[in-house]
Order: sequence, then C-alpha cells, then structure tokens
Amino acid sequence: MSNSVAFEVTRELEAFIIQEAKYADEGQYQAWYELWADDAVYWVPLKDGDDPAHKASHLYDNYSRLTTRIKQLNTGNRFSQVPISGMRRVISNYEFFGESDDKFRVEANFYLPEYSIQSTHDFRIWSGRYTYIVSRKGDSFQIHSKKIVLVNALEPISTLSFLI
Amino acid sequence: MIGSIDYNHLIQADKVHGSLYTSEDIYADEMEKIFQNSWFYVGHESEIKEAGDFVSRDIGRSAVIMVRDKDNTVNVLVNRCSHRGNNLCNEMDGNKRNFSCLYHGWVFALNGDLLDVPYPDGFTKDKKDHGLQKLVTDSYRGFVFASFKEPTRSFDDYLGNGKKLIDRACNLSPEGEVDLTGGWVRQKFDANWKMLPENDTDGYHVNYVHQSFVQVIPSQYNEFVGGEDTNKGVIRDWGNGHTEIDFAAGYVNTLDWLGSTVEKSKSYVEKMHAAYGEEEGDRRMFDGPPHSCIFPNLFLAEMNIVIFQPTSVNSCVQWSTPMFLKGVPELNFKLLRQSEGALGPAAFLLADDATIAERAQKALQAGTPWCDLSRGIDREIVREDGVKESRMSDETSNRGFWHHYRSMMLGEK
Repeated sequence: MSNSVAFEVTRELEAFIIQEAKYADEGQYQAWYELWADDAVYWVPLKDGDDPAHKASHLYDNYSRLTTRIKQLNTGNRFSQVPISGMRRVISNYEFFGESDDKFRVEANFYLPEYSIQSTHDFRIWSGRYTYIVSRKGDSFQIHSKKIVLVNALEPISTLSFLI
Repeated sequence: MIGSIDYNHLIQADKVHGSLYTSEDIYADEMEKIFQNSWFYVGHESEIKEAGDFVSRDIGRSAVIMVRDKDNTVNVLVNRCSHRGNNLCNEMDGNKRNFSCLYHGWVFALNGDLLDVPYPDGFTKDKKDHGLQKLVTDSYRGFVFASFKEPTRSFDDYLGNGKKLIDRACNLSPEGEVDLTGGWVRQKFDANWKMLPENDTDGYHVNYVHQSFVQVIPSQYNEFVGGEDTNKGVIRDWGNGHTEIDFAAGYVNTLDWLGSTVEKSKSYVEKMHAAYGEEEGDRRMFDGPPHSCIFPNLFLAEMNIVIFQPTSVNSCVQWSTPMFLKGVPELNFKLLRQSEGALGPAAFLLADDATIAERAQKALQAGTPWCDLSRGIDREIVREDGVKESRMSDETSNRGFWHHYRSMMLGEK
C-alpha cells in the first residue's frame, strides 16, 4: 500500500491544486511561478506516452524556459494575453498516489472554457487530464511536473499562451 | 459570380483589397486555381521511409494520403473511397499493406488501384476504372509537391528559384538531406490562410508584435531594436510567389542561427567539414537555413518546416515540425525545443502572430478596406536575374506574393 495517500493529505493536495488553478486563471504569474521546483517540467504533449527527446510537443518547458515564459507574460506586451483571457477552470475526478522520494502524484480531469477577449471574442473549450508530481515544501507543496494531456491534443489547437 | 471578380482592381502594385481575405467567392476560386489545378506542397519523403508508410494531409478542400508504394515510389491519393465517398483512412500516419473501406469493404492497393470488391458477382464494372483518384506528383530533394490535375506549368518552372531555397536547407546536413520525423504540431488560426505566408516573410512587424519576445529572449531578431538601419538582413522576392527574409548578413558568428557556437557544436562542425571541406562547410554553417515561403503553402522556417492549410475563408491551420538534419541526430533535442519555442500554439512567437492575424481578420470583414503594401517600393532593387531585394523592413516580399497570386487567379500561370 505504498501508493495510498492519507485522506487529510488528499485534502491538502486538492487545496494546493485549486490554488494553482486560481493563480493561472487570474494571471497571477509570479505567484504561479513561485509554486514550481527548479526541476520543473511543464508539458503539453501531442500524445500521452510521447518521448520529448524524439517528438515535438505543444509545449515543453524546463525551469529555465518556464522562467522565460513568465518573464514574457510579465512584460505586459505578450499580446496574445493582453488582456488576459477570461478563464475559470473546473478540476474534478481527482486521484492521489504516493510516489517514491516523498513525492505525490495527483491526477485530475479539467474543463476550461477560455474567453478569447484579446482576439475573436469567442469561447474556446479546453479539456483533458492533469498529472502533477509535487512534494512538500514548508507547510505547502512545490510542483516538479505538470503534464497536460488535452483530449484533442492531436488536432489543431488555438493559441495557448495562457497558463493551462 | 466568380468570373466577375476583378483581380486587377483588388490587387494593385502598392495595395490589396480587404475582401481578398474575407470573400467566400474568392476563397472558392482559390481552392480551385491554387489548391486543385496547380502545384502545392504535400509532404516530405522522410515521413514515409518504408513501403506502406503513409501520412494523411488536408489540401484545399480534399483529404489526401501520401504513401510509399512497394516499388518505393511515392503516391498521393485522394482519401475517399471511389465507391460511396467514405473517408478511407482516418489515421494521421501509420503503415498499411493496403487501404480498405469500413463502409462496404472495398480494398485499394498502395497505388490506388481497386483490388477487391466484396461479393463480386453483383459488381460488373471494370475495377480498373474505379481506383482512387491519384494526384500528379513530383519532388525535389525529398519535398513532394502535387496537383489534382495536370498543371499548365511544369514542376521545374513552378519551383523556379525555390530550388535554391530548398538547397540551402538541405545543405546544412552533412548528408544533404533533412529528416521530418519530429511530429507535427498544428495551430488553428481564426484568420485567412494568406495572412500566414504574408506575415512569415514580413520583416517589419517583429519589433511590435514580438516586443515581449525581444525584451526577454536574445536572438537574431534583436538587431531590430536599433531601428531600421541596424537591420542587415535582406528581404527578397524570388519570383513565382516565393519570398524570403535572408538573415545571413545580420549574423556575427558561425552557427548564430542555431543559437550555438563552433566550440559547443564540435561534432556537427567536424561532420560538415568532412562532408564539404572546411571553407564550404564554414560558409554553410555561417549563412544558416532559409526563412522562405514557397508558394502557396510551404514555409522553410529556418530549422522548421511549416505547411499552411486553408480550412475556410476565415480560418486556417499552421503545421510545424522541427527540421532534423540527417547525419546529426545529436542536434535533435535542441531543434525540438527551439521549434516549440518559436512555432506552435504556446510558442514565444507564433502565439502573438495568431492573435494579430485574428484581430485583422475581424477588422477586415466590414466596409471596403485597403491594405497598404507600398513600403520600400521606391528603394527596392531588381537584380539582373529579376529577383527583387530590399531592406528587411520593406514589403517587397508581400508584393511578390500578391503579384504571383494575381497571375494565378487571372489564370495567367
């Protein structure tokens, strides 16, 4: 039973992910960035199971590139997010797993209607599966990786410069 | 209706009319004249290495399959059963011995021939007349082009100076070949397809649309910051609608285009010297890859290959994949990450281009707007071979695109 997670801990993990989602929805870029560990991998593959050494992804950021991404958003001139898209994502169907090295893996489904206020003024629907690897940091957690597998990842997708 | 479109009025030397981006009639006309009856890019031979390997592509209003036959030839077939029109192959890529239809079980060979009709007694027609529609194809250094009908221009005449641009890309490989096996990222634009080739060889917008990129990422685009006179790159209209921004004159060191140095890329440098000699190898590694559009739908995007796919008058898809160099797999990881950084929906560059294009598409819907393309018209030069050149910030490339587009739409070529 090494991979079971105590109920109280699952509540803490869920609260952490809800906080992370809120920062992303609201464009609180610095607060969102500070949740990450320096071995960060923020990843939207074309297909679950792809090897990023051989296949392109929609997005594959290590810590350095994630830092650049946040810097770019923070210039205020990242026009594909000026103004920031209207977003309120819903995260559900959580599953919690204990990993080695005191890490936790959290998987959940998400549903994200994005209102593209800076371009077409249409709703764009994003949906898929989040997989987080997190560990304890102080009285909260830090994110080592977040993989986002879109249900339509292999199809053409719209601009994805907001934080998914 | 279509006969009444006055392309000579809509496309002038120094301006184009907004309806070219928004008219359904013009879109229908383009689908026939540009994406049916003339040459367009389909794919690269390295995507289908073995017999039976195939990739699916959407060209104009048709889905096609590019497949390698048992005799090693490359066929481009319409992805539609000749019986009742069902979409024959629903996968993006894979390997098949033949194509069989899910609807009534008709089976087709890799060259499109109809092999088998279930319960044959009731079908008395000649199977020879019921194969899949096969496109006219030709290729240059592995880049496969096709047309649904026999084009009026020969392939050589159509590609023209585009050969030099493809050469420049392939010549960066010590084996002289590119390898497109990194997977295709596809980005949806709510904008007319022509905004993509226009924007991709527009050297004027960088410091504005990509302000945030220039602020945080050092690259060859930084020379824009000093103003027009610091841009050493050259904008070029190669004829036939093929256009380019040539960055070579702006590079300072060998491998600047790779974001690398001779010291950091020792194995690549050694392989290039071994293949081409020190002097020629160094020249290729200094000048770097092309940043060029081949009319109508191929973009040699430095170390990426891009395909433009119109999907409606108001929407299109940009396909992108890293351009791996055969013989130098050690560069692939870097090329993958650079590709994601520059192109695709989450990239530091293209995300902002898409937003600007979508805003323009919306704004051009109403009234009778004109788009001005006169920048540099009085200072561009015409070389002896007819190629036009000007400063990087001039609209010479866009004028070249539209000049050729007009001749296509008027049926001159």
